[in-house]
Amino acid sequence: MTDDERPAVTGDVIDLELLITMANQIGDFFAPYPPDRAREGLRNHLRTYWDPRMRSALLAHIDAGGDGLNLRVIEGAQQLREKAADKSGYYGPPQH
Amino acid sequence: MPNPRKPERETITICAYCGVGCGFKAETIGNEIVRMTPWKEGKANHGHSCIKGRFAYDYWCHPDRIKTPMIRDSIEDPWSEVSWDEAFAHAAKELKRIQGKYGRRSVGGVSSSRCTNEEIFLTQKFVRAVLGNNNIDNCARICHSPTQFGLSATVGTGAASQHFDSILQADVIMVIGANPTEGHPVFGSMMKRRIRQGAKLIVIDPRRTETVDSPHCRADVHLALRPGTNVAILNSIAHVIVRENRHDTEFIKSRCEWQEFEQWAKLVGSEEYSPDKVGPLAGVDPEDIRRAARIYSTGPRSTIYYGLGVTEHSQGSTGVMCLGNLGLACGMYGREGVGVNPLRGQGNVQGGSCLGSWPHVFSGYRFVTDDATRESFEAEWGVELDSEPGLRLPNMFDAALTGHFKGMYIMGEDPVQSDPNQNHIIAAFRKMECVIVHDLFLNETSKFAHVFLPGSSSLEKDGTFTNAERRIGRVRKVVEPLAGYQDWEVTVKLMNAMGYDVEYAHAGEVLEELARLTPAYAGASFELVDRIGSAQWPVNADAPEGTEVLHTDQFPRANGRGTFMLTEFVPTRERVSAQYPLLLTTGRILSQYNVGTQTRRTANSQWHHEDVLEMSLADMQAGGLHDGDRVTITSRFGSTRLKVVESARMNPGVIYTTFHHAESKANAVTSDLSDWATNCPEYKVTAVDVTKVTSTKSKHAESSGKRAAHREREAEEV
Repeated sequence: MTDDERPAVTGDVIDLELLITMANQIGDFFAPYPPDRAREGLRNHLRTYWDPRMRSALLAHIDAGGDGLNLRVIEGAQQLREKAADKSGYYGPPQH
Repeated sequence: MPNPRKPERETITICAYCGVGCGFKAETIGNEIVRMTPWKEGKANHGHSCIKGRFAYDYWCHPDRIKTPMIRDSIEDPWSEVSWDEAFAHAAKELKRIQGKYGRRSVGGVSSSRCTNEEIFLTQKFVRAVLGNNNIDNCARICHSPTQFGLSATVGTGAASQHFDSILQADVIMVIGANPTEGHPVFGSMMKRRIRQGAKLIVIDPRRTETVDSPHCRADVHLALRPGTNVAILNSIAHVIVRENRHDTEFIKSRCEWQEFEQWAKLVGSEEYSPDKVGPLAGVDPEDIRRAARIYSTGPRSTIYYGLGVTEHSQGSTGVMCLGNLGLACGMYGREGVGVNPLRGQGNVQGGSCLGSWPHVFSGYRFVTDDATRESFEAEWGVELDSEPGLRLPNMFDAALTGHFKGMYIMGEDPVQSDPNQNHIIAAFRKMECVIVHDLFLNETSKFAHVFLPGSSSLEKDGTFTNAERRIGRVRKVVEPLAGYQDWEVTVKLMNAMGYDVEYAHAGEVLEELARLTPAYAGASFELVDRIGSAQWPVNADAPEGTEVLHTDQFPRANGRGTFMLTEFVPTRERVSAQYPLLLTTGRILSQYNVGTQTRRTANSQWHHEDVLEMSLADMQAGGLHDGDRVTITSRFGSTRLKVVESARMNPGVIYTTFHHAESKANAVTSDLSDWATNCPEYKVTAVDVTKVTSTKSKHAESSGKRAAHREREAEEV
């Protein structure tokens, strides 16, 4: 779809504090997985379920230091920028 | 007793209350319903019914029904009655204005499981094809979205593995976070029948429910766990199974991913999940955990039925995964009498889930991010579609508060009453510029609406429902729609008013379209359902009359195998403290239905005219309370008032209420926490304080705001 929308409203789409809580909860779920699978699972979850503006706000917060986010979340979310990590149609936690 | 009048006509249709979806014969004289009798050939109910489906149908012609569309510029203004055409034109003009001003993604919609498959499918089409974004959600978001997520992750299908009749071959029945004798009564009766025949019953529920102990129903083990400890308890049951070597190695090796099993067995087998550790944490006897594990794994046919007591938690999806793991580990999949089965809440909540009213998937649970899927919908609908997931229902409200979300089409839902943290929802609605409520009655949400479109009940429309056992059955128009249109026609006209040209001669044509676009429904049609009565999906070329038991040969995952998820227990952040020492949880009773929009408008209200707070004797004595006292229940989010009654069904520390009456305002106290994966609200755990009402004049203490509540919770954790 051609993007004709104007950024009429500025600021985060959702309260940042809430985004941090949600992201950390996802991070908590992936805690028992090996680090590479946890990163992959977290990245795929954000890509599949989060509105793009929520993902951008999270990444912007990480760029600004990522205060309040656990490391697992930061590492997983950063994979959103890796083209190689892109697997469309993915559902749920890490697969082989 | 007046003589029963002889009906002129009989119409076979489906009850729209709970997820059992009983078949009914509606008997009419002219446009008047004189009797509803359970349909003997109905495959979900075999001629049985409960007191809701049988008697509570008169809401359809209640004087409160709104029959004329209404609009207003501001929620402070009174409503103005207008013609349908004026209402559609006004709604379309406003939605376009908002999108022009705030962007394409500033509007969205929500559909209801009280509507038909066809209507739910069209609501997603309206949002995706006409509004041009994926901000579409449905009421399963706030009940069974974790089911979809958790079961898909483990066994590949987010739905019940069995048909209801399968329970008649079960040797062991495990019921978790559900109370079928009240919430799903016709299925509950079938369960009791099997228990009378000797099946063992395990119940996991904080409350000593009617399923634990009532005539013809007595649990062999009842784990009365503290709310919020499901995952710990289920992991502990798994601990006993793997430590005592009670799992089904042959099944796991032939049907599942063995390596994932080993990792899972290591996690649940750790000391952390031993009954001796988990028992005290969850408030249950460790020996009962062992007994439950031994009974379930012994079977030989063990089945699990669960409800919102599993899903409505911050670890709701993890809890569902635990059940999938357990079923796979013990080989309880793929035959009669076993399986893992959600007891879904509404008549069409499985259909509501299947037909694409989600921000991330089209009908058939296929991703908006997947190019091939999206292209198939683009080809059918003739427009380009958004490839990014949209906002989930709670996120729509969150985005309204930041000014990013301004308009909403609400088909048959009442978020102000039914969604959590009511003050938060109201604040969000106040910031929206066009709220379109499409419903039978004015409700709590319509107070914040700008357009009201009169809806039609399931007795006034044609279409299909899909019940909790995946059964697609026919909803038939019993009486003419009071306001002139069936709901699907209203959605189509709204699409037309927005400039999208589409028409359907009847609802069956919508079903044909959704069957073309939804693999599990590929073989569904009015013709099929009229001919064979009903069909359980998948219904397709391989299974032309549907499928009763899933996963008999393989699981619908890429490699055909079931898998085990690592389900670490993460305690909820909602905890008791000195200020909020009790945990509030909620449930339902037999005669009323959910927020009561329908049942309260029938004579069923004489059996339940108010919601009450159930409390143990110990807690009542500690609070200086007596049976019948009016009490104020205060949480970190808000407060409400109820009458308290002493109940032997409750353990000390845990209190319980139903939420059938709007004035009870149960959601004024519920928290803003939600499931990590789906944002399904954590309705089932709220820390509260209960105090006796001393003066009738004192005003309710209102919420101190979400941020304040967050800060307070953080402070208490330190």
